[in-house]
Amino acid sequence: MSKGHVFLAQNSETDYITQAYALALTIKKKNKINQTCLITNDAVPLGYKHVFDYIVDIPWQDDAIQSQWKIENRWKIIHATPFKENLVYDTDMLLLSSNDHWWNFLQNKDVVLTTSVFDYKGRKITNDHYRKTITKNNLPNVYFGIHYFKKNRIAFEFYQWLRVITENYQDFYDKFLIKEKQKFCSMDVNASLAVQFMNSFDEFTTTLPVPAFTHMKSKIQRWSKSPIQWQQAVISNLCNNQLTVGNYLQSGIFHYTEDNFLTQDILDQIKNV
Amino acid sequence: MTKGVVIFAQNNKEIDYVELAIYAAQQVKTYLSLPVTIITDSKNWLEKAHSDKSSIFDSIIEVKDNSHQSKKFYDGISYKTDSWKNFTRFNVFHLSPYDETLVIDSDYIINSNFLKFCWDQPQDFLIYDKNFDIAGWRDTSEFEFISEYSIKFYWATVFFFRKNKLNECFFNLIEHIKSNWIYYVKLYRLTSTKFRNDYAFSIAIHMMNGFIDDSFATPIPNKLSYVLDRDILIEHKNNKMKFLIQKQNKGDDFIAVSTRDLDVHVMNKHSLLRIIRNV
Repeated sequence: MSKGHVFLAQNSETDYITQAYALALTIKKKNKINQTCLITNDAVPLGYKHVFDYIVDIPWQDDAIQSQWKIENRWKIIHATPFKENLVYDTDMLLLSSNDHWWNFLQNKDVVLTTSVFDYKGRKITNDHYRKTITKNNLPNVYFGIHYFKKNRIAFEFYQWLRVITENYQDFYDKFLIKEKQKFCSMDVNASLAVQFMNSFDEFTTTLPVPAFTHMKSKIQRWSKSPIQWQQAVISNLCNNQLTVGNYLQSGIFHYTEDNFLTQDILDQIKNV
Repeated sequence: MTKGVVIFAQNNKEIDYVELAIYAAQQVKTYLSLPVTIITDSKNWLEKAHSDKSSIFDSIIEVKDNSHQSKKFYDGISYKTDSWKNFTRFNVFHLSPYDETLVIDSDYIINSNFLKFCWDQPQDFLIYDKNFDIAGWRDTSEFEFISEYSIKFYWATVFFFRKNKLNECFFNLIEHIKSNWIYYVKLYRLTSTKFRNDYAFSIAIHMMNGFIDDSFATPIPNKLSYVLDRDILIEHKNNKMKFLIQKQNKGDDFIAVSTRDLDVHVMNKHSLLRIIRNV
């Protein structure tokens, strides 16, 4: 069965294509199972194309033309991917050590969403600063940032729910987010609602930290004073393909969250390893 | 394999660390029944002022410590600023006469045989990473990480090591860190430039672990109990200690607390000296 890593990227003020390129580069370097697919309608620079085994158009019309955050087309991933088994990533991530072993853990599942996220010191994040909507409404605490699916009926059903919720998010949020409203469309919230509607939390999660990632949003790092961007609090250093943050060596998937982290210098270092 | 305990004692104008070390050594002999070595820059003082008690030490090793840091030494609510010499501890690997050494501060008062286990277990480097403030209410976050943005805190107050290549690397690394202290202060975002063995040990352990939380240092399997220099030791008999502990939200008010069979780091050295001198 074909396996691959999938990213959907549409440039706005942020260069998501370059982020996807950096992520795909790290996947190519670290993984044996390293087929990649970029789903985009944007022009992909020639120098980037070698890290994408597939570059696929976003199916149907572009639903994110008016949007800055560009998440409205995410529900189409299942329709665009060439792979039977898929690991889907937000683009603002880097793979710092192989996750080839994940496929074995995930092979008996249809859909798996992330429930284990860690701070840069390797501590499990329990702070819900950015997830009040989910916790206060007692919704499944899942992250869409990395998820797995096998192209089958159950995954299509999950993605169909994502479509309906994303296209009608204001109605869904008004009806189901009673205790803590949210104004903007969020794929974490949409995925959480979909899991709730399918009553599938146990089926769509694992008790192991797979998938998992290091989440660098500033206010969940257990700092008494959190700057706007985590880079203002701790030094990061990428050298010989090893990333340290606050003198902690990072491994696994690093979700840097701040677009300005991916400087040309970082990109050059990833390229040249 | 030779076994023993090493105590550092470097006097300043106000505090007779040698006298503290003699007292700590007596406790070691009582509860651990092991030879004790003092490493001191005040050998003459030991032989003149404490000649009647110097035989508690199985060996005396003289060092020079020309460091001139200063800090506030509290005695309850009052304090005096004095010099603080702590630059020689990394040398303990070479200075210790023992193959298997327990190092304790001169103000670490042993009241139990708990630490005997060090010589009966296979790990080559043991150190405290957890603490117990006898006051119970104070914020102990400064002893969890060397700064909140930085790495895990280890106590250089008590540690055990065997002489082997890996531990030699570790102590050499501490010397390197000490020699480049200002660089490490900035790199690890420390809030003070004062050299602290706790911080240097913590950084070296982190580096020996490959910059992750790993297993170079084995945590001593209980908590390091301590009272701050804002607290006052008022009695020590056999294995029992009595303290006046700073009350919550009342800096100049105290509450009495007693301990039994508990090894305690008594940071108020003035009050410890009063107990030793029976004044």
